[in-house]
Amino acid sequence: MNGTTIARGAASAAVLFLLATVLCGIVYPWAVAGVGAVAFPAQATGSIIEVDGVKYGSELVGQPFSDPTHLWGRPTVANATTFAGEDGEPLLWYEPENISPASDEFAAVVAERAAVVRAAHPGEGDAPVPSDLVTASGSGFDPHISPAAAEYQVGRIAAATGRSEEEVRAIIRQCTEKPLLGALGASRVNVLKVNLMLDGIL
Amino acid sequence: MGAAVTSALLQAAALVALVLACAIPLSGYLVNVMEGRLTPARRVLGPVERAACRLMGVREEDSMGWRRFLVSALLFTAVCFAGLTAILMGQGRLPWNPEGCAGLPADTAFNLAASFVTNTDWQPVAGETRLSYFSQAAGLAVQNFLSPAVGLAAAFALLRGLAAHGTGKLGNFFVDVVRAVLYVLLPLALALSLVGLWQGTPQTFEGYETVQLLEPVAIDAQGNVVAADDPAAVREVTEAVVPLGPQASQVAIKQLGTNGGGFNGANSASALENPTPLTNFLQCAAMPLIPFALVLAFGRMVGDRRQGRALMAAVLVLLGVALVAVVAAETAATPQLAADGAVYVGDLGQSAGNMEGKECRIGVGPSALWAVLTTATATGATNASMAGMTPVGVAVPIVLMGLGEVVGGGVGTGLAALVGFAVLTVFIASLMVGRSPEYLGKKIGPAEMRMATVAVVSPALVILAAATVLALAPTGAVSTSQGGAYGFSDLLYAATSAGANNGSALAGLAANTPLVNGVLGVEMLLGRLVPLAAVLALAGSLAAREPQPSGAGTLSTASPLFVGLLLVIIVLVGALTLLPALALGPLAEQFTTVL
Repeated sequence: MNGTTIARGAASAAVLFLLATVLCGIVYPWAVAGVGAVAFPAQATGSIIEVDGVKYGSELVGQPFSDPTHLWGRPTVANATTFAGEDGEPLLWYEPENISPASDEFAAVVAERAAVVRAAHPGEGDAPVPSDLVTASGSGFDPHISPAAAEYQVGRIAAATGRSEEEVRAIIRQCTEKPLLGALGASRVNVLKVNLMLDGIL
Repeated sequence: MGAAVTSALLQAAALVALVLACAIPLSGYLVNVMEGRLTPARRVLGPVERAACRLMGVREEDSMGWRRFLVSALLFTAVCFAGLTAILMGQGRLPWNPEGCAGLPADTAFNLAASFVTNTDWQPVAGETRLSYFSQAAGLAVQNFLSPAVGLAAAFALLRGLAAHGTGKLGNFFVDVVRAVLYVLLPLALALSLVGLWQGTPQTFEGYETVQLLEPVAIDAQGNVVAADDPAAVREVTEAVVPLGPQASQVAIKQLGTNGGGFNGANSASALENPTPLTNFLQCAAMPLIPFALVLAFGRMVGDRRQGRALMAAVLVLLGVALVAVVAAETAATPQLAADGAVYVGDLGQSAGNMEGKECRIGVGPSALWAVLTTATATGATNASMAGMTPVGVAVPIVLMGLGEVVGGGVGTGLAALVGFAVLTVFIASLMVGRSPEYLGKKIGPAEMRMATVAVVSPALVILAAATVLALAPTGAVSTSQGGAYGFSDLLYAATSAGANNGSALAGLAANTPLVNGVLGVEMLLGRLVPLAAVLALAGSLAAREPQPSGAGTLSTASPLFVGLLLVIIVLVGALTLLPALALGPLAEQFTTVL
């Protein structure tokens, strides 16, 4: 192998890099974006829930809830340091908790969360708290909780909002997504949608 | 076994069966398009292939010897590395940057570029916070196509070497890369990205969305969220951000190309990247699809499909053991979570057990399956927090990565590692019974043995060396979120992930520092390029040998006995290299905290 062969190889490599950048880096993502704009405009732009011109969030991004009139979601680990708006106002964003479930630190975190949840739900007595209410999710912004975790909160929400438990359950049912074909994935309740319905917005 | 474990394992078995069912026809397709046979795909896209070859000045007939093939691969990797580094450092002056991301500092750019050209996709920074759309789509995602394409080229070079009749020729590297992208990766990625888009993954070049919070939150002076009545609260935050961008196109190829680098830091745990159980299933199936098809393509290329099935059987045995271990551990949760009965860790409707770091729409079982497949193949994408896994759920992925991409592995690199182990097994087995070693009709001489050994052992050496450097670094230069056994697991996981070109992380390690960026960056390059060189050298010397007719004294390499021997060798090499390190990390944690 001589210098010419190597120089020719380098030239071929450079051309291949440029061709791939055009085909895989420009044509491909714009083609998919084009299909999105035409066929799936809502999904392509983040599944935003917009009512009367106000954007209340994305169906796919959870929010922190602690008000007694609202359904509570997974514990979030949020910060306002990552992103800022156009005028420099802080925006909320989430990160994973990244803690070992076999550590003493985790045991303390869980015990504290469970105590808070139990104190807010005296009607549930000594019933154990569903695990998803005391564990952070992989993304830090899981938009869902399990039907069991929603059912655990029905009494408290009904008392705080003045609605009947049946009304609260009906709203939760409307916002529950079932496993695909009854087998794939888990049943889950979209927390933001439930709260927008509880507030009479949706 | 509990109902939750059984149901999770049934789902896992169904997924693996489906992948195998798709891998069989795909293996035939791979051989057809990579060998340049006329197929419907080539009838349609042939003009693009020919135009690309004309522009590059290469011809299919110009078949390369192993040295030229290797130099071409190294030159191409160097060009990609330089190009990607330039894009990442200069993103502030490039288009598609609605969030106004500044160029990355040199050490971060070096690490990311090394990571993506080596099919690792380790990320020292969360993509949505620091990278422009140009860096993501035209920088990282392009390498998500090219690095598996290089792997496919190398795998077919090895297969041609095994099948060749003394020619010493391995094919044309550049033609192979073009074919891999055009006929294999692009069509599959397009299909998967459209499903993702339909299910809810964003795909837009508009900037991020700002939304109203239904419940405003209070923050302290440092920007951390605190209770509204906390005296440290200084202001209210009323809005949140929703990161958008060309996500669907990138998510598809990060799974299919065993890349793993998410558009977002949360990877496929983010409901934006992985919105539904359907996308989760397909993304999970996409990881082993091409690696499995390549193992079967191996049988087709050497003219004896039983050879491919034998290697596949070994892969499935290892995969099955890993699956049972992780599913059982995650479904059982930990005493720390159960909190003396205060927390219900039983069935929540298909997801019992350790929900820490898991998403509700996905559940515990499918998250365990994903964790196994992402580390069995060298993908490294995650749909749950790896840090949130139980100690066994952390140890098994480290073992799968540390075995050296044999359980599927990366696109191309996985098959290469498996063949390296097969050659090693043939050699040891033949010596035990006093036969002269040969594999698929090719005599295995000292040159082949040297190269197979380098290919098999070098990733483990690189991993242990990097783990040593990180562990011995002065206090403060390398920091982890927790100390003790878990802190060591964090270092060991990072070193293993980088050296095995996986890319997943326990995420407790402060990764974006010059020292860690440098050590892991060099490690990723060595973990990729040293085995690549060894495999191509092995292919070259096999290609130069004339095949011998097999006689009565030839060891059958398609028999269950051979599969068993291969498994013993893989586990032995893995145990010898990994056990001491594992004992200090996740095993110590398991025995002190869970049992």
